[in-house]
This record gives sequence, C-alpha cells and structure tokens, in this order.
Amino acid sequence: MYPQSAVELRNVTKRYNELVAVNNLNLSIGKGEIFGLLGPNGSGKSTTLKMLVGLVQPDSGDVNVLGLDVLKQPVEVKRLVGYVPESANIYEFLTGIEYLDFIADVYEVPPEEKKQRITEYLKALQLEGREGDMINSYSDGMKKKISLISAFVHKPKLLLLDEPLNALDPRSARIVKDFLHSLKAQGVTTIMSTHVLEIAEAICDRIGIMYQGSILALGNMDELRRTASLPNSGLEDIFLKLTGTEDLRAVVEELTR
Amino acid sequence: MNWKNVLYLLRVDRKSGRLIRGIKATRYKENTFLAYWPYWTATIVGILGGLIANYLAVLVYQQGVPSGVQGSLPPLDQASVNFFTVLPTLVLVASLIFTLLQQIQLAGLKASSQVMYWLPITWQEHTLASILANLSGWPIALVIGLSAGTLIYSAFNGIIIQALLTAAIMCGAAFMASSITEILRIIQVRLTGAIYKSSGRGAVWVRLVGTLAFFIIFYIIYIYLTSGFSSFVTNLTSAQNAAWYVPFIWLALLLSYTIKGLVLQAVLFFTLSVFFIAGLYYLAIELNKRFGLYEPPAITVQKSGVYMPKVGLLGKFGFSNVEAAIIKKDLRAFTRRRELISVYIAPIIMIIIPLFNSFGVINGGIAPSGQTILAFTAIIFVLPACFMAMLLGEVLIGEEGQSVWRIYASPISGKNLVRSKYFFIVLFSTIILLISGTIGIIFYHPSIEYTTIGFLETFFVVLTLGSVALSVGFKGPDFSQTRRARMIRQEWSLIGLVVCGLAGLAVVAPLAPIAIFSFLSITVSYNIYAAVAISAVISILISAIFYRINVGLANDLLKKAQI
Repeated sequence: MYPQSAVELRNVTKRYNELVAVNNLNLSIGKGEIFGLLGPNGSGKSTTLKMLVGLVQPDSGDVNVLGLDVLKQPVEVKRLVGYVPESANIYEFLTGIEYLDFIADVYEVPPEEKKQRITEYLKALQLEGREGDMINSYSDGMKKKISLISAFVHKPKLLLLDEPLNALDPRSARIVKDFLHSLKAQGVTTIMSTHVLEIAEAICDRIGIMYQGSILALGNMDELRRTASLPNSGLEDIFLKLTGTEDLRAVVEELTR
Repeated sequence: MNWKNVLYLLRVDRKSGRLIRGIKATRYKENTFLAYWPYWTATIVGILGGLIANYLAVLVYQQGVPSGVQGSLPPLDQASVNFFTVLPTLVLVASLIFTLLQQIQLAGLKASSQVMYWLPITWQEHTLASILANLSGWPIALVIGLSAGTLIYSAFNGIIIQALLTAAIMCGAAFMASSITEILRIIQVRLTGAIYKSSGRGAVWVRLVGTLAFFIIFYIIYIYLTSGFSSFVTNLTSAQNAAWYVPFIWLALLLSYTIKGLVLQAVLFFTLSVFFIAGLYYLAIELNKRFGLYEPPAITVQKSGVYMPKVGLLGKFGFSNVEAAIIKKDLRAFTRRRELISVYIAPIIMIIIPLFNSFGVINGGIAPSGQTILAFTAIIFVLPACFMAMLLGEVLIGEEGQSVWRIYASPISGKNLVRSKYFFIVLFSTIILLISGTIGIIFYHPSIEYTTIGFLETFFVVLTLGSVALSVGFKGPDFSQTRRARMIRQEWSLIGLVVCGLAGLAVVAPLAPIAIFSFLSITVSYNIYAAVAISAVISILISAIFYRINVGLANDLLKKAQI
C-alpha cells in the first residue's frame, strides 16, 4: 500500500541510565501515511518521535527519514520535518508573529510565501488579533496553535506531532484533523502520538501500540482487532487488552475504598 | 500556621534556585557541594577574617605601634563591641540590596509561578516561606560569615557572649530585610503591571530602562557603602544613637544597650523591634492577600493587522536567513527577558566606578591625578566591552533554556549557530566599546593617538574574548530554567574567567612594554603601531582557532541535543 518508506527504524534502542525507553524497535512507515503511536505514559512514544527529528540519539540501530540517515544528515532531515513537541516550550519573549517569522526564516521560506502562509494559518486557527502579543500571555491552547503553525509553515514532507490536539478547542482540533487529511493527499506523512483513542481511530491509517519501549501491535483497525481477538471492539478495548490493563475493576475498587 | 507547609515551600523555592541538571538524567540530580557553596565559603571567609582581625588587633594594641597613636585608641574590647553594634544595620542594608537584586533577576516566567496559590496553603504560610526563601540566599550567607568572624575573633578576646548576641540579632536584621523585600516585591509586581498596561507597545522599553535604572541605583548605593567601609562604619556608629527613632536601627540599639547592660532600654528596643518585624510580616501578608494573585497584563509589541515580513539588513552583511533569524531572536531576548538584562550591568558598573573614583565621589573624596587618570582612561575603554564579550560568550548558548529544543529540531548547522552567536557578541560588545570610549573621551580627553589605540586594542580583545568565551558557553551551558537562570555552569564560568583572562593578556602583551616603560618613566623608542599590529595578528589567530573549535563544539551540541 505504501511502496516507499518515509520512516525506517531498524533495531533502535535508547536507554536513559538503567531505564530502557525504546527497546530494539523496528518500524516502517510509508509515504503519505497517517500513523498513530499509542501507548501508556512512559512507553517510548515521545522518545521515538524525538529520535526521528534528531532530538535524541539512539544508543544503537538505524534511523532513516525520507531516505536520509538522521545521524549522518541531521540538517537535511530537519529541513523536511515539522515537529510539534508535547509541551510547548517556545520562546515566550517573542510575539506569536515574531516566533513564526523566526521559524519561517530558519526554514528559509521565501518572504512572500511566508507572509501568505502565516496569515492564512493565523486566520484559520483564530489567532488573528493576538499575534502581536508576547507568547508568555498566551493560553496553553494558543501556544499549541503557534506550535502547530510553526510545524506546518515550511510545508514539511514529514510531520511528527506529539499530542497535537491537546488543549485545542473543538473547532481548531477539527481544522487540524481535516488539514492532516488534505496533507496526506499531497503525500505528506504524519506520525502522531496521542492518548485520545477516538482521534487515532478516526484519522490514522495505521496504529502502533507501544508498551515498554516496543511495538506491541501494529496495523489498521481490522488488523488490531484480529491481533487482540476482539472482532467487534473499539480501539479502547483493544488497547486495554493488548497492554494487559483491561481488567480495571480491581483498581477502581481499590481507589474507592 | 502549618510549619510543615512553610518548610515544604521553602525547600521547593531553595531547590529551584540551585544547580539542577537535566543532562543525561531521568532523575533529579543536584550537586550538593556547589549547592551550598555560599554558606561554606562564607564560613571559611568568616573564620579567616576573624583570625586576621585578631592578628591586626594584637598588632595594633600590643606591638610596634607608636605610643601616641596607641594612646588615642579606645580599649580593644570597647572598640570591638562598638564594631559589633554596627553589624546588624550593615546586615540589614546589605541583605536588602542582595534580596532586591535577587528579585529583579528572577526569570519572569518563574516569578509568576502560581502553583502554591491553588494548594491548601494560607497566605501567612506562603508569605513566611517567601520571606525565609529570600533570607536563605545571600543574607544568611552574610550572617554566617560575619557570625563566624565575630565568634572566632571574640574567642581570642574574651567577648564571646557579645559575639553570640550579635549573631542572633544579625539573624533578626536579615529577617527584617527579607520582610521589606517581600513587601517591595509585591508592590513592584503590582506597579510594574499597571505601568506595562498603560505603556502599551512601549512596555518592552519601559521594562528595559526601568530594570537597568533599578540595578544601577542599587549598585551605586552598594559601591558607595562598600568602598568607604571604614568611614561608613564610623559614621554609622554615631548616627545610630542620634537616629534612635528610625525603626531599621532598633535592632542595633537593642544590641548596643544589651551589651552595655542597660536593661530598661534593651527591653524597650527588643519590644519595639519585635513589633516592627511583626508589623512588616503582617503588612506583607495583607499585601499578598490583596495583590498576590495579580496577573500582569499581556504586552502587545505589534499592532494587530496584516502581517508584513521585514527585510533585514543582516542579509546584506552576508548572513543567511537562518543566521539573521537567530541574531534577531537573541536581540529581542536581550531587550525583553528580565533575567538577561542583568548582563548589561557589569559593563555599566565598570563605567561608573572609574568615573566615581576619578572625581572623588568614592575613595574618601580624594580625586586621583596624572598617571592614575590615564589608567582610568584605559579601564573605561577596555573593561566594559571586554566584560560584555566574555559574559555574552558564556551565556549566549545557555540562555536558550528549555526552548533549546527549537534550535536542535531546526535545520541549523553548527556553523550557522556559531556565526550568529559570535556576530551578536561582537556587535553588542562593540556598541558598549563605542559608548564607554565616548564617555572616556568626554571625561578624560585622551590624545588622538591614545584614543585610536584604545578603540583598536579593545576591539581586538573583544574579537578574541567573544570567540574564547563562546567555546566556554558551548562546553558548559546550563539550560535548566531555575528561578534565577544561570545559563552557564558554575565550574565553566570559573574556567571561562581564567581562559579569557589569559587570552586577553596574550592580545595586549605587545603593548605591555610601553605601559611598563611609561610607568617607570623611561623613554624608549618603541613603535606603538607595530605593537598594535602584532596585537591584531595575535587576536585574529586566537579568534580563528577558537572559531574552528566552536564550530566543532556546536556540531557536537546539535548532534547530542541534550537539554
């Protein structure tokens, strides 16, 4: 279905002292695919995304993005990638427009295109009127919008989105979801991590469920249902079963005692 | 009052200001040796100070002093106790300056942290914890140092009880100062918020100028007090007794009367002091209740409307879009981030001190003349710009803070990063050189030859120190955004000082013979312009070597991408 790989991870391992964040991970994601990374907290989703953009170096294994080795050609890879981190740690002393201007310059977007794109995105995500304020006065949702625009502004070939819809209002979340679909049609690959299973189920072509640094299950919804032997279930049941946390009654009972 | 809450808050506040590293760590790490360095350093300095003071006292009172001079001196124990009675007021003034400067250097983001406001903590607990947090920085280090000194000294001179009393009352003075700082902090937050709101787009500049003015005023007071220390102490001793109605010296009077054994007066000033400190504490609580949850208004820098990207000048100087973007971003950081504004202070102070000295404002009112003025001219030309280059070089990587991921995740090469950061350092330092040089010309009227050499030589040192200090900044950045962001790890800051000192000396070395001959009033034929040319070559060589090193270090930093 996806003849060319946008992302290839081969035998990738990343350790933080004694903690194994990613354990011998093998993953191939095709061009134009929207791929969802699910998993409990600390399962290695964010570390995997960070390795793809060169924010974290793997201890072993190969990380290949759009035919380029992330370790050997980091700048070339970054030029093709748009990244939204989980927490929006952005330059708060800049205004929204200054931040986007900075990002567009760093990605060498031509001035006219820069102007057009930034104006359009600000309008679409309803940031018009606040773009001249310093970011430190923005709400979390507004910071997330600025982060998203900064990932889109240079028209990347690969989008790495870590919890992209967190803190967004329903309208903006819908716009982002639809926008990701339209980018898919243009051949842009999206890898997103999320805890909102409905979103993953609705927009992802394939889903990888990570647990303790490894991929536990991989495929589209039908394939995941087969793997979990839950033919008519939703993603939540599949997720809970595969991660061995399906029987939560004891936990709830313990909490309510 | 839940004392445990106070303790927990205090612990969090203090830890947030210490050396917390995120490098290669999934767990909290703290270097305990460095975390408590102000305290153990103060103890060591205090003990040494006490021993030296005792040695000097023995020297003055028992040996080798003309009898006439000795006869005019008060008895040793009386002189010592007189000095002790001044210490609480000194601690109060110094603590007030330290804590206010600490407040202004807090990162804006962290200063408005509101976690404690939704926790079940009363305003009384919050205010007390905040006061104690102010206290537990430099003020307590000062009290520890002075207490160690007075105790050691008094052990040799049989006045240990007086020293213990002094130590206890100094703690009270430090608490008083911290309470005043807490009151001023709340008022400042409320006032600055109101000023920003009314300033509109000018708020950024109001903040920059206001913060600089605040720093300069307090540093001038500090320099004034410390430079004329002996006369200040003498004046204070007599002033304290005359100005008994000023609440800030009641603690000193309490100590004075207690030592003299005047029980009634001691009880009176003890009661007054307790009421005054309690009053300050309750005032701080009331102000916190009223304004503690105040949110400063958003600063609007540009008017809303159609976005117009600006074509910058930097491109015409050969900088790529990436490099120009980083330079512009750093320029904005250094005019908007309150914690970075403090970087300007050292150069400004280095302009003020020589001016004060040369006009006799400090140094006992004695104005120097002749050759000393020439030295001041050299100082005012060289030091401010060179310190600026060193400071900027050391902090310009670490100032990225937790947002450094943006640099890591962007298509920025090591060369881009070094070129933009190095240009920024040289640009800012050259601006400082032009300002300080102009002030030097206005006040000291150096010859055209000295002026030219002053500008050229300083520029060469700036080029060199910028490159050298930047490598230190790459080696030891501190990205942790504590309440007072350090931006450079302490050990690397010290290394930077030494390496920059050596590099600076290497550049000015060709001019050293001229300075020595001039000082010794020996006339020797020496081509000064040849010396300047050799300086330029040395500067370019060192700068080029460190530039290459910096590119390597930048690539390494970007590759490892560690926050």
